Amino acid sequence: MRIRSTNRLPEINIRFDIMNTFHNSLARLSRWVLLGVLLTTLASCDFLDPTGVENPRTTDEDLAEAPEPTAALLPGLRAQFARAVGGVVIGTENASDNFSINGTGLGGNEMDFPRDIVPNTAVVNSTGQIGVYWHLQELRALADFVIDGIAPNDDTATAEQRAEAHYYRGMAYLMQGENFIGVPVEEDGAPLPPADLLGRALTDLQQAASLAGGGEFATRAVAAQARAYRALGDGANARTNAESALASGGADFVFLQEYDENSVDNGPNDYLVQRSLQEMQPLPSLDFLDPKYVGDESGIPIAKAEEMHLILAEVALAGGNEGEARTQLLNALAVTQGRPTEFLDDPDERLDNDLNERPHTATITVAAEAGRPFKAGLVLDRPGPVDTPSISGTSVTDADINGASGTALVELLYLMRQEILFIEGRRMHDLGIRLPVMLRELDTNPTINEGDPVTQVSVPGYIPGQNELDLYDPLILYQDGALIATEVTIRHNMNRILAEQRGLVISNPMLN
Amino acid sequence: MRYVYYAFLFLLLLPTTVRAQATGSLSGQVVEARTGEPMPGVNIILTELNRGAASDLDGNYTVEGLPPGTYTVVSRFIGFKDRELTATITADQETTLNFQLEEDLLQLDEVVVTGQAASTEKRKLAANVEVLNVRDIEEAPVTSVDQLLQGRVSGSSVRLQSAQPGQGALVNFRGVTSVFSSQTPVIYVDGVRVDNSTGTSLSLGGETTSALSELLTSDIERIEVTKGGAASTLYGSDAANGVIQIFTKRGIAGSPTVTVRTEQGIDYPVSKFLLDTGFAFPGTTTDPDHPDFGKTSFIEDNILETGHYQNYYGGVSGGSANLTYNISGRLQNGDGVQPSNQNSLYAMRGNIQAGVSEKLTASFSGAYTHSNFERLNNGTAIADPLTTFEVGDAYFFSGADTFDEALRLFLLPEIKESVNRYTFATTVRYSPSALFSSSVTAGVDSRDNEQRVLNPAEFDIISGDDSGSLDRFDRNFVAVTLEAVGTISYPREGSITSDFTFGAQGFREETSIIQASGETFALPGTEDFDEAGTIDASESRSQVFNGGIFFKEQVGLGDRLFLNGGLRLDGNSAFGEDVGLQAYPSLGAAYTISEESFFQGIRDVISDLKLRVAYGQTGKFPTAFARDVTFQAVSFRAESAPRFDNPGNLDLKPEKTTTIEAGFESAFLDNQFSINFTAYTATTKDALFNVPEQPSTGRGTQLRNIGEIENKGVEAAFNAHVINKRNVDLSLGATYGWVENEVTDMGGAADFNVGGSSVRAQQRVSEGHPVGEWRPTTPFDSNGDGKLDDSEFQFLGETPYPTQTGSFNVTLSLYRRVTIFALADWQTGARVFDWGSHWAQFNGLERAPRPTRHDLDGNPILNSDGEEVKFSTTQSGVSLLQDGDFLKIREVSVRYSLPRSITNRLGLISGSIFVQGRNLVTFSRQDLVDPELAGLTSGGGLQLGGEQSITLSPPRQIRIGIEIQFK
Repeated sequence: MRIRSTNRLPEINIRFDIMNTFHNSLARLSRWVLLGVLLTTLASCDFLDPTGVENPRTTDEDLAEAPEPTAALLPGLRAQFARAVGGVVIGTENASDNFSINGTGLGGNEMDFPRDIVPNTAVVNSTGQIGVYWHLQELRALADFVIDGIAPNDDTATAEQRAEAHYYRGMAYLMQGENFIGVPVEEDGAPLPPADLLGRALTDLQQAASLAGGGEFATRAVAAQARAYRALGDGANARTNAESALASGGADFVFLQEYDENSVDNGPNDYLVQRSLQEMQPLPSLDFLDPKYVGDESGIPIAKAEEMHLILAEVALAGGNEGEARTQLLNALAVTQGRPTEFLDDPDERLDNDLNERPHTATITVAAEAGRPFKAGLVLDRPGPVDTPSISGTSVTDADINGASGTALVELLYLMRQEILFIEGRRMHDLGIRLPVMLRELDTNPTINEGDPVTQVSVPGYIPGQNELDLYDPLILYQDGALIATEVTIRHNMNRILAEQRGLVISNPMLN
Repeated sequence: MRYVYYAFLFLLLLPTTVRAQATGSLSGQVVEARTGEPMPGVNIILTELNRGAASDLDGNYTVEGLPPGTYTVVSRFIGFKDRELTATITADQETTLNFQLEEDLLQLDEVVVTGQAASTEKRKLAANVEVLNVRDIEEAPVTSVDQLLQGRVSGSSVRLQSAQPGQGALVNFRGVTSVFSSQTPVIYVDGVRVDNSTGTSLSLGGETTSALSELLTSDIERIEVTKGGAASTLYGSDAANGVIQIFTKRGIAGSPTVTVRTEQGIDYPVSKFLLDTGFAFPGTTTDPDHPDFGKTSFIEDNILETGHYQNYYGGVSGGSANLTYNISGRLQNGDGVQPSNQNSLYAMRGNIQAGVSEKLTASFSGAYTHSNFERLNNGTAIADPLTTFEVGDAYFFSGADTFDEALRLFLLPEIKESVNRYTFATTVRYSPSALFSSSVTAGVDSRDNEQRVLNPAEFDIISGDDSGSLDRFDRNFVAVTLEAVGTISYPREGSITSDFTFGAQGFREETSIIQASGETFALPGTEDFDEAGTIDASESRSQVFNGGIFFKEQVGLGDRLFLNGGLRLDGNSAFGEDVGLQAYPSLGAAYTISEESFFQGIRDVISDLKLRVAYGQTGKFPTAFARDVTFQAVSFRAESAPRFDNPGNLDLKPEKTTTIEAGFESAFLDNQFSINFTAYTATTKDALFNVPEQPSTGRGTQLRNIGEIENKGVEAAFNAHVINKRNVDLSLGATYGWVENEVTDMGGAADFNVGGSSVRAQQRVSEGHPVGEWRPTTPFDSNGDGKLDDSEFQFLGETPYPTQTGSFNVTLSLYRRVTIFALADWQTGARVFDWGSHWAQFNGLERAPRPTRHDLDGNPILNSDGEEVKFSTTQSGVSLLQDGDFLKIREVSVRYSLPRSITNRLGLISGSIFVQGRNLVTFSRQDLVDPELAGLTSGGGLQLGGEQSITLSPPRQIRIGIEIQFK
């Protein structure tokens, strides 16, 4: 403060023109006005420092002064991985037969019509919670920044920290390689095809496993390699890594991506449980598995023993070894049966877009398709208390596995993958659907032009038209709240169709 | 530091000595020439001494302490021609000089300040400046300045949000000059920059509160409006949207005069755009025993209500020749026209002018406003009762069995906001001689608002939170303005005159926003965060400083031709590090050709004609800190988790709008008709675009100076004094504006949306198209068979904002006692996205008709029941774009001034009774959505308006009031 300046006021030689007593008072008041003016001005001056703006966020200059920048950025990678997993699950599950979309919370139901998906489709083009493309790109870019830009100059960066960063980048490549037609991975870069993305995933995951020195991230990285080799069609390496993961992780290992209800919460949970707009509605035959994530912070399985057994089963089937395949499926079943369930008083009314009631009564039986037997126990009573698997669940029994062979066994594998890996972001890849790049990529990347393959959704011919993936018959099951039909038939049994027309993913990974 | 300079300059001005000498005085009375009525508030100025006084309520004035001599004395009053007389002052004597003033439609002698550096007569202005005077302001039944502008400024678009309290209008002059920032003009009150932000609260469905809502119309003497271009150049990096400068009322010398005004009023809801389509849902009509059976109207009968309004104003004004004051207070309360819209307002204002010496004056104005109001969820919120009952299934969304119970649930949330606002301005003027004058202005505008949203546990069916939640939004804004200006006027007389003005002006703005939400309350009744099970909080802050120096030279040739040139140099804390000072030049000429000798022959027809042409640049500075590379962390599982934030741009600079305008001001037939016409073209270069980075970088968007936007248009004002008799006086007026906008260069950036619905109808920014031109999905006839067979996005050629605006007004005065005023305003060229009909469609109702779908053979597509299939609103977004044309009878007011026989008996100086109506009738081409409303907005960024969900139209307001003045 330069308040001292006000001391000069009495020295000012001012003659007031005094008219009368009243005006004399006013004249005195005018001194106060002047004093007020002066004080206001000086107070303003002190407040006003032209150079005194300070960005409340961390700038690049601030970051350069961080004592342990790699350690500081790793939580950011963890949060971004959580976002990416949530985005992938929401985006890919809705494009598959697992879920159909109601309400507007997911930008409309375009994802139910897989052939209508375009770069501008909300889930593909979003940078928000549901943004499947964006979050994988941001995860990979942030990992690039840590691995290539920060860690090499950071003496405090440990091998474990580097392993974790490589793991996240590897997972970004893996999920891109499974779900997209092609993705550019550097500024102005041409899109890399899935095989290249998966190859990069393997490089990072191997580095992660190597740097992790046998810790948690080693097992996670090895399990992810099994998944990547399956997606590449490399059965031998898929088996080696699946076995290795089971050996190091334990017979019933599971790694969950946990969430934080106050920041990055479980995205699917918002649409599965809160369902303010009834957004994600499961296929009736999967109703007993829904909702898997009952809380804002529920973990999404990233890698688990069941998946390793399912990969081993698939490798065995690809090698013509049905016995080994059955053994692995039984192993997967055994692990699944040991998984916990969670209780939820589910308020969901199970409505479709026309406000018709979807199956929500336990007396309803469901057939996988016309001509198949109607199975009980697949639909739960809702609204009301439900007990649903939080990691894995399946309707398949030992007898089903032991009784299946040939194409039926492949169908069973797909069914078990669908149920056990329900809402974990695997089904769209199994269906062979690949998403285009987001509109912003098309708009900004000079190597991508409208009409390029990466700008168009890839939907195999065996996928039915319109939104038929999600349909069942009859659509009207209730009248005035009363059940009028107890048997529901899924319109298209995609597991049979996959078994017959695609074969095994590991045998036909790129659908060529 | 710069502030040291300001303080030093200020202190330099203070030590002033006035020598005693023998003096005389000048006094007299000012009356209107036509009626002989006394005129208060007229400025009487002795030109050579630069001294003067204002007439009191009886029209009398006195200037004392005048050195003997002969002086030119000029009288000035808004709406009247200057009158220039000569007076000889003798020592120790009082000289009398009376004035008769004649009305002046053109008002070329009216003095304006905004953008001129020093007070300047309009005849010297090369660019158009519009002035709203005290009469415009007093006759308007409005509370805030934004409403006042409706229909009163040519070429403006002023669109309100809705009738909920606390909201402000989207104000736009001369088209959209930017695609990244608000188009609201900057606003100064007594020389101090004030908060003009929209989006100062949580939206709760799209509608936000606005800082414009506390800019009250009481105690305003004059509002000057510059619309960008040369008239705004001296405001530099801040003025591309134009400048609104508000001058508050000063006291008039004399014994204290008390003004008391009371208003009582009724607000009637306007239901024209509420169709009660919610009754189409099954369940409302099926059961004869159901309480809702047979109902056809619910919104109008059960939600909308007639609101009571009351307003009390008291003020006192007076003072001596050396010190005048004007102090007032105001209380206002309204119920609103739907539940939970209570609002109250408390305001105080003081204005003091002190003549410290004949060369030094100081003035201070201060205002405090406290506003409390309640709101409802609105617009696109599912929790908005209007939206749900109009286009949703109220039973389904609320879980209730009856409409009444559903409404009770929808009214459970408590959404309350309070605003405290202080505005202070001080100005010291020092004029040591007629050749030099200077002033220093300093001031602060501080606005704090707190919004609290309490969703009780019982609201869980809609909120999804079964144990209650509390959200709080606190925004603190403070702006400090400093300005120092000096003018050298030499030579002041003769065939060539010169005024050279120089100065410095700067402001600093700080905004801090803290948001918090608490969830899970064990017990009902609590509204304290610390009792919540979980608390989540976030904050954002910004600071920006803008400072510049300016120069302006104005040369007058024969008091007819005025040439001026100016330059402002600006620095700003938001500019990139590699960007230096930014220059904003202006050039202009004004030529009152009607005063030339060769013109005199036709002055019977053309009374006055002023031609003008101007070139000027204005700017718009980037968002604070947009130049920096930043990271932003969130809390994630008890860790601070950073991610990429702003990519950074060292070359970030303001977007610059260059305006060339030309026009004329003319009066015809002995000043009975006037036309003020301006044509302009404004080109914004280095336009700031939020350019998306490639997703492969993982980074979001970055402001970059890459675009170019053009606006061209005309604006005109017409006035006619049709009848000018002693007992009947009739004036007609009209304004007109047309603007055409185009994005001429996007610098290679991809097209993007700035509003609307991304999958139905986008407000699109695309090269060769207007900013935000509608691009809906539009069924089209691909094979020319007249049958619509498919749909795709297509530009519509129309915008969310109007291309033509205008107004009409009538003022009729009868027997000088009764004044009747009417104002209507209109717009055309806009399309409004009808979110309400979209939600209706989503819920299975066809509120807005959709076209039938055909196959390529021209056959209608049938559904499984054999019925023709219509395009969905996704496929025919165009069906949701409604015609935005409207004409509203905005205001009608009748004021009766009590005759002197009554006022004298009551001991009053004056008294009047008035009845005012606002928003009386709306004419539109459709009744699905109110085309006036700017609707959904959010904080910051570009707001084009033109999309609207189900909401309240501004109510039909009726006010009855009494105003008296006494000493």
